[in-house]
Amino acid sequence: MKKPKLATVWCEACAGCHMSFLDLDEALVDILAQVELTVSPLTDFKDYAFPQVDVGIVEGGVGNEENREVIEHLRQQCRFLIAWGDCAVFGGIHTLRNWLSKDEVLRCGYVETASTVNGIIPAHEDIPQLLDKVLPVNAVVAVDGYIPGCPPAPEALAYCLKELLAGRLPVLPADMIHFD
Amino acid sequence: MKNDIQPVKMTIDGQEVLVKPELTILQAAQQNGIRIPTLCHHAALSDRGGCRMCVVEVDGAPRLAASCVTPVRDGMQVVTVNERITETRRTILEFLFAERNHNCMFCPQSGDCELQDLAYELQMDHLTVPQSFHEFPVDITSDTIGLDHNRCILCGRCVRACEEISGCYVLNFQNRGPGTLIGFDLNEIREESACTSCGACLQVCPTGALYNRYRTHYSVKGHPKDWQTIQTVCPLCGLLCPTVSTIRDNHLLKIEGAIPAGDEQPEGGQLCRQGRFDVLKNSGRRLLHPMVKKADGSWAEASWESALDITIDRLNAVRDAHGGNAVVGLASGLSSNEELVCFRDLMVKGWETGQIATLENSGFQNIYRIGPDKGQTFKEVSWKKIAEADFILAVGAVTHDSQPVVGSLIRKRIIRDNMRSAGIGPNDFLYPYGTHHIPLKNGDELLLIKTILSEAIKVMKKTASAPDVGKIFEQTEPVKAQDIVKKLHLDGKAQAALDEIIRDYVDSTNPLIIVAEDIAAQKNPSGLRALVNLALLKELYGNESLRLIVLKPGGNSMGAYKLLHPFDQEEQAETVPKGGLVLLEQNPFQDTPSLKIPGNLDFLAVISPYWPDSLVDCAHVLIPKPLWMETDGTCTGLDGSEIAFRQKMLDAPAEINPSWQTLVDLAARANVHLDYGSWDELRQKAEQEVQKEVSGEKT
Repeated sequence: MKKPKLATVWCEACAGCHMSFLDLDEALVDILAQVELTVSPLTDFKDYAFPQVDVGIVEGGVGNEENREVIEHLRQQCRFLIAWGDCAVFGGIHTLRNWLSKDEVLRCGYVETASTVNGIIPAHEDIPQLLDKVLPVNAVVAVDGYIPGCPPAPEALAYCLKELLAGRLPVLPADMIHFD
Repeated sequence: MKNDIQPVKMTIDGQEVLVKPELTILQAAQQNGIRIPTLCHHAALSDRGGCRMCVVEVDGAPRLAASCVTPVRDGMQVVTVNERITETRRTILEFLFAERNHNCMFCPQSGDCELQDLAYELQMDHLTVPQSFHEFPVDITSDTIGLDHNRCILCGRCVRACEEISGCYVLNFQNRGPGTLIGFDLNEIREESACTSCGACLQVCPTGALYNRYRTHYSVKGHPKDWQTIQTVCPLCGLLCPTVSTIRDNHLLKIEGAIPAGDEQPEGGQLCRQGRFDVLKNSGRRLLHPMVKKADGSWAEASWESALDITIDRLNAVRDAHGGNAVVGLASGLSSNEELVCFRDLMVKGWETGQIATLENSGFQNIYRIGPDKGQTFKEVSWKKIAEADFILAVGAVTHDSQPVVGSLIRKRIIRDNMRSAGIGPNDFLYPYGTHHIPLKNGDELLLIKTILSEAIKVMKKTASAPDVGKIFEQTEPVKAQDIVKKLHLDGKAQAALDEIIRDYVDSTNPLIIVAEDIAAQKNPSGLRALVNLALLKELYGNESLRLIVLKPGGNSMGAYKLLHPFDQEEQAETVPKGGLVLLEQNPFQDTPSLKIPGNLDFLAVISPYWPDSLVDCAHVLIPKPLWMETDGTCTGLDGSEIAFRQKMLDAPAEINPSWQTLVDLAARANVHLDYGSWDELRQKAEQEVQKEVSGEKT
C-alpha cells in the first residue's frame, strides 16, 4: 500500500507547533515510516504548488493575503485538513491585534516603536497585505480536525495521525485538550 | 416532624434514588455521586439558573431544564448526559468564549479557571462562531481587587457573593445585552465605591475577571499541579476565620475562606481585607541573623550564642541596678498563646518584672476591671451569637479596622431577618442598613449609655417584675434625660431615635451590645459600670455570659490578656523602665508598631521577623524569629472561650529558631529553667492556662 502523503504549513505563527512535533523524538521514526512528509517547513520544501496530499496540517492563524492563499490552496489539495495549535484553532496570540485597527497595528509596528527612527510602513505589490483581523483557519476554509494548545502536546498530533491512519476523523479526548 | 416527610423516588441516569423533596435535581445528583457540570452555581451561593451549563433532560421533554433550579419530583426521570445535552453545553461554552476575550494563552488565570476546565471536560476543541473582539474596560484602581470585564462571563457569582456573603450590595449588573457589565455601586470605579475589599467576589469568580492584585503573575504562581493547600485559621483577629491557603514552593500564593467553614463560622468563605490581601504584602526586609549594635552605632552580625548572652547580661545588669520592675516586656498581640507563655515566664522568673504588656493598646481591659459584681467573672458572649440576636446596640463600634467581619455579620442579619439595630458614636458603620444611629462626639457614648440605662429601668419598673435586676435598679442613679440631651446637643431626630432605642432594648428578648475597643478602654468606671449593668438588665446569655461583645485591637489580644497579667500603667508609673525585651510579629495593620518605649533605655532587645525600622535607633540587639505563618501556634478567640490551632503554612528560613525556643534559651542563660517538654506539652499548658482563667479564678 502506498504511504499516505502529509503536508504541513505555517502561517501567522511562531513555529512552536512544529517544534512540538519534533518533540515526539523516537516516535517520529514510527510515524514517518507510515506517512510521507511532502511540503513542510521541516523538509524545507517551499514550493506551495504541491500535488494532491491526504492530510494537510496548518500551524498559525490567517493574518495576511498570503496566508489566505496558502490555506485555500492546501484545502483544495488535501482530503483532510487539521488546524494545529491555538493560532490555527482560535487565532491565538496574534488576536491581540484584533482589538486595534489595521492602520494602528502597522503604525505601532513600523513607526511608533521606541527604537524606530523615521519609520515608514512598507508597501509594495510583492508584500502581502494584512487582513483586518487575524482569523482562525475554520473562519476561512472548512476544517476536519482540531488540535488546540500552545504549544499542542506532541502526543496530541501523534494521536490524530493514528486516528486518521485508522480511517477515523480525529477528536481529541478531554485529557489531551489544553489551551496554554 | 421532619421524619414524616416522605422522600422522593426518582431516576437519574437509570439509577433509582431516594432523595429529600426540597432538593434540586443538581443537589440530588451530587448527593448520589453523579457529576453535572455547573458554572454560575456555587456551593456558597444561592442559585440563579443563568448559565444553563447544568441542563438535563427531564422525562424526555424537548426543552432541557436547568438542574440547579429545578426541584425534584416523585417519579421524575432525569438524564444528565447524552449527545444532545453535551452538544448544548458545548455550544453555550462556545458562545461564552466567543463573546469576550477568553484566550487562555494570554490570561494569568489559566490553569486556575473553571471556564477553562469546563472547555476541556466538554471537549470544546474549537469555536464554531466568530469571536467578537469587542473591547471592554479594565478597572485596576484598587490595590487589592482587579476587574477585567474582558474576562467576565456575567455568571453573577460575584454579585451574589457581595450580597449574600459580605452583605455589602456593592456589585451589580449594569447596562443591558452584550454591553452588560459588573459594576461597583452606581457605576463608580472600584476605588470610589463602598467596597470593603473583603474579596468574597474574587474567591467565587470562575474566570480571571475578578482577580487578586497580589501574586497572580505566572512567574509567581506556577502551575496549579505544583500547588499545595493548607487548612488553617486566620489569626489576625479574634474571629479566627477558617482559611485555605495555597502554597507553591514555600511561597504563599493566596488565602481563601474555607467553604464550608463549619459550625457557626462566617459563611461562604468570608474573610476580610486584612486576612485575604494584607497578609500578601511584603512587610519589609527580613531579619535573618542576630544583630548586635557596635559602639559606633552600626550593626554587626552576631552568633546566636553571643546575641543571647549579651541580652541576658545587659538585662541582668538593669535589674541589679534598678530592680526587676525596670525591665519591661512588650509582646505583639499577634503572638501565639505558646509564645506568650514562654515570654511571660522568662520575664517574670528571669527578672521578677511586673511590667509585661502587648504592643497594641490593651486599654480595652479596663472594662474587665469593672466585672458584673465582685467575685463574679466577666464572661462575654461569643461573636457567633450575633446570628441569634434580635437587637444589636453598637457602642462606638467602628469595626472596619479590627474585626471587619463583625460588621458584615450584623449587616447580613439586618438585611435578611429585619433585625433591629442601633449605633451610637461618631460614625454609622451600619449605614444605610441600621435602624437607628445617634451621632456623638468620641467619648460621649458612655454618657448616653447612662441615660439609656436609667430610662430603660424606668420603663422596666413599670412593666415587668424583675427580681434579678432589682439590685441594678437600686444601684443606678437616675439620670435626667433632658439634661444629657441638652449636653450632647441631640436634635429632634436623635431624641426620637433615643426613645426608640430604649424601647427596642427593653422589648427585645435577645439583645447584644457591641463595644468598640476605645469605649472599653475609657477610664470611666461609672460609665463602664452602666454599660455592664445595661447588659445585665437582660438575663445572662445561656445563663453564663454577659450580653457584651468587646472588640479587641490585636489578633490574640484575649490570649495576651489572660496570659500576661497586664500591669496597670498607673500603678507602675513610678518605676521608670530602664531595659526591655520586645517580641514583634508581622503586623499587617501597621507597618511600624505604635510603641511607647519610655525614654532612653539602657538596653533594648527586639525579637522580630523583620528589621524593626521604628526600633532600630533605640535597640541594642536584634534577634530573628519566624513569621506567624511559619510556625504552629494556638490563638484565643474574641471572647476568650475558644482556642484555635493555627497550622504553619510555610517553612521558616533554616537558620532561624522558633521564638519559643529562643525564649527558653534566653531563660536558661538567666538561670531560669523553663521546662515545657515538647511543643505539644507547651501547647497543652497554654491551653490550660487560658481555659483556667475563663472558668473564673481571676477576679
